[in-house]
Amino acid sequence: MIVLLVEDDPSVGEFIVAELGAAGHRCEHVGDGIEGLERAQQGEFDVLIIDRMLPGLDGISLVKQLRASDRQTPVLFLSALGAVDDRVQGLQSGGDDYLVKPFSPEELLARLEALCRRSVAADTPLRLEVADLRMDLLTQEVSRAGQAINLQPREYKLLEYLMRNAGQVVTRAMLLEQVWGYHFDPQTNVIDVHISRLRQKLDRDFDRALLHTVRGAGYRLGPPSAEEP
Amino acid sequence: MQVRQVVGSLTFRYIAKYVVVLSASVFVLQLVFYGLYSSSYFRQLSASIVEELETLQVVYRGQSLEGVAQYIDDQRMRPSVRRFYYLVTAPDGNKVAGDLPHHPRYREFNQGWLGFQMAMLSWGKEVDVDFLARPLSLGDGYQAIVARNYQDVLERTTLVIETLFRSMIATVILGVVAGFLSASRSLAQIERLNVELSRIIRSNPQARLDTTGEKGYFREQAVIINDMLDQMESLMQGVRNVSDNIAHDLRTPLTRMRNRLSHLRASLPEQEKAQVGELLEECDDLLATFNALLRISTLEYGGQTGVDSEVQLSQLLEDVIELYEPLANDKQIQLSASIAPGQTCRGEADLLFQMFANLLDNAIKYTPEQGRISVSLGAAEPGSRHTVIFGDSGPGIPAAERKNVFRRFYRLESSRGEQPGNGLGLSLAQAIARRHGGTLELGSNNPGLRVWVDLP
Repeated sequence: MIVLLVEDDPSVGEFIVAELGAAGHRCEHVGDGIEGLERAQQGEFDVLIIDRMLPGLDGISLVKQLRASDRQTPVLFLSALGAVDDRVQGLQSGGDDYLVKPFSPEELLARLEALCRRSVAADTPLRLEVADLRMDLLTQEVSRAGQAINLQPREYKLLEYLMRNAGQVVTRAMLLEQVWGYHFDPQTNVIDVHISRLRQKLDRDFDRALLHTVRGAGYRLGPPSAEEP
Repeated sequence: MQVRQVVGSLTFRYIAKYVVVLSASVFVLQLVFYGLYSSSYFRQLSASIVEELETLQVVYRGQSLEGVAQYIDDQRMRPSVRRFYYLVTAPDGNKVAGDLPHHPRYREFNQGWLGFQMAMLSWGKEVDVDFLARPLSLGDGYQAIVARNYQDVLERTTLVIETLFRSMIATVILGVVAGFLSASRSLAQIERLNVELSRIIRSNPQARLDTTGEKGYFREQAVIINDMLDQMESLMQGVRNVSDNIAHDLRTPLTRMRNRLSHLRASLPEQEKAQVGELLEECDDLLATFNALLRISTLEYGGQTGVDSEVQLSQLLEDVIELYEPLANDKQIQLSASIAPGQTCRGEADLLFQMFANLLDNAIKYTPEQGRISVSLGAAEPGSRHTVIFGDSGPGIPAAERKNVFRRFYRLESSRGEQPGNGLGLSLAQAIARRHGGTLELGSNNPGLRVWVDLP
């Protein structure tokens, strides 16, 4: 994943570059809006991370100009402004996701990967497959190893989102935004309860678990990796 | 504005009292003047009678009885109202001269004065007229009585009393009407002031009273209130800045610490990971608290300039319930919803979702296993307000505590340590309701807690 970061705060910039580097991604860091727009328009990036407040050209104007020149590179806004209207404003100007500072590196990584994947998988498949789990998007039937699994509508949406992001970490906040459609802060482990119900239906009768909890980050759907028990 | 309200107002009562005291004192004053005037009139009257008697005596002495009769005859030519009436009797009691009937029924006053009534023609009608009279012995057994009527005084008395009475009534009525008008004017001003003030307190702490629209004392008052609001705002700003800065400035180092811990955990052997994991979770809780605190501040003092769009309220509530249903199921709580379909309101969906989620989350948290929770939204007339009611069968909140639970970090003694939470859920819910121009009220669900959310 090749990332362009437009961020004027050097400490935040260094932190993101280091985190992305550690996760095996390449990241280019630019400190002001005008330079950021020039680099973004050259269009060799998979995803852009853009701060809302920038010297030269603010983040919102940057993305508006970028979209006006028909560049569809996915954009993740970073902002210290946490109010809802700031978030909506950011998304309306052409941003694809919005993250409020301070954030955990897991959240940032998970969102970047989801953005990249979404732009790659632009074609609409008829069927999703993860290991021996299958989802037919036309008939809305789900089966594992040929055995039908009966899901509630919301469980179906939850599973669909997890399957589209299979192999990657998906955070609780992402699930709330994408599956339930609301950006809010649940006070309790309400998502965990939904996940554990889904897990019951997916993994109960099988030796190999597919739905994993990633400590401190979120969930991942896919065959177990080496570091997860 | 109701009549009762005006009548009960301080201004009206003040003016009414003033009118009563004023008219009573004017009445007393006029009565005193009248008494002085009439007593001097009676003094003159009696003095003139005494004088006339002396004249008769002089005439009798000089010209004997014929002279007196002649004199009396002459007097009868004078106009009737102001003239004297006479009666002269012989020693045997027979009338010898004069125009008074022989035996009028006298009332005796003191010091030889007599009073009687006699029918007289007045304007073609016969009326009883009051007379004041005094007898005198002329000599040789002859008696004279000189009388004079004081009907005109009596008439004037009645006239004056009637005038007094009427002017009193007029004063009272005019005074009350004026009082009513001025009281309702000042009440209207006070009411406008109240409405504006409560609007400022409720929704827009930055707004001020309009001082150009007021007059006199009210303008002065408005200016003073504005100064007070200014001071309050700057004080609040100060406190808010301090607490927000603390939360804001601590957030960044805390995040850094959290991220370092996360790195540390990745490099640790498997058996030590769990401990660092707990630290990480604690960091996350702290960050969540800071974030919630900052969100409440932003909501409370950000004014109402947010994104304002039409929200499918019914759908949103059903989504909240659907999200939390599994939590309720885990505790075998019976969660029932009665939601009128198709209700909409204006606002921010994410915020409203947060508010309802907090309320439902609380309800589930505090309702014991196998309890009951109900959520209802009635069908509202277009343009009227919506009311969402959450009821649970938990322990409820004592009436005395209901105001306190909206305070930040406030937690009931009974729930401390028993339930997780940062004591910000209800504060946030209330801040959201207020930002939408709504209210949040707590009451009893007999037993349990009932929460009313009122939204425009």
